[in-house]
Amino acid sequence: MDNPSGRYAALTKRLVDSVLAPSGHMASDARQAVLARAARLGGRPSSPLSQRERGTGGEDIPPALAGYVDKVALHAYTVTDEDLAALKRAGNSDDVLFEATVSAALGAALGRLERGLSALRGESSPPDPLSTLGPHPLTPSPFGRGGTRE
Amino acid sequence: MRLRTVEHGHRLPQRLKLLLIRVVSMRRVPDVVKTLFYRPEFFGRPMCDWTQAVMRGPSPWSVGERELFAAFTSRLNQCVF
Repeated sequence: MDNPSGRYAALTKRLVDSVLAPSGHMASDARQAVLARAARLGGRPSSPLSQRERGTGGEDIPPALAGYVDKVALHAYTVTDEDLAALKRAGNSDDVLFEATVSAALGAALGRLERGLSALRGESSPPDPLSTLGPHPLTPSPFGRGGTRE
Repeated sequence: MRLRTVEHGHRLPQRLKLLLIRVVSMRRVPDVVKTLFYRPEFFGRPMCDWTQAVMRGPSPWSVGERELFAAFTSRLNQCVF
């Protein structure tokens, strides 16, 4: 368990490389920025940063898209039709939104994976980013399962 | 599905597979499958390889235990498993 990505590091790397591949509808740098932002929100230990992540503080992500990325990373079940409709009206194609969503979801998942593996190694963790952002996911929603509104 | 292209924009090989799934299962194809089949070289193929290794590959955890972890995680994410 020395590798921060754990037992499946090679497969994880292939997945990340595919999602950040040069070809695509959204610039590879922007996808990388989305992934890194979501990974931080997912609890990725802040260091060491890989070469890929340096200099990606979210500055490459348009503000409207950054809000969507945060939503996908932290509480994807609150995404609404209107969120996507607004992003489309702002000129984002379906393929750009597909790539942004996948990058955000993968980043959040990796952040959580790395945080979990780091905890198993007995390392100290940063504060849980979810703890300051409203009720715990297991809190019953007044709108029913998966229907929580912001 | 909120993204039209992920709902209907599959290339021919994936379109045929989706049709086959629909005919054999006599049900609507789940959105997660449509997502994995959309531009599979970008996400679906490496994601399926990763999932296969993690959920079915050699592990100290049984397949049932791993499915339980996944279901519990999905519940925490308020996502139907």
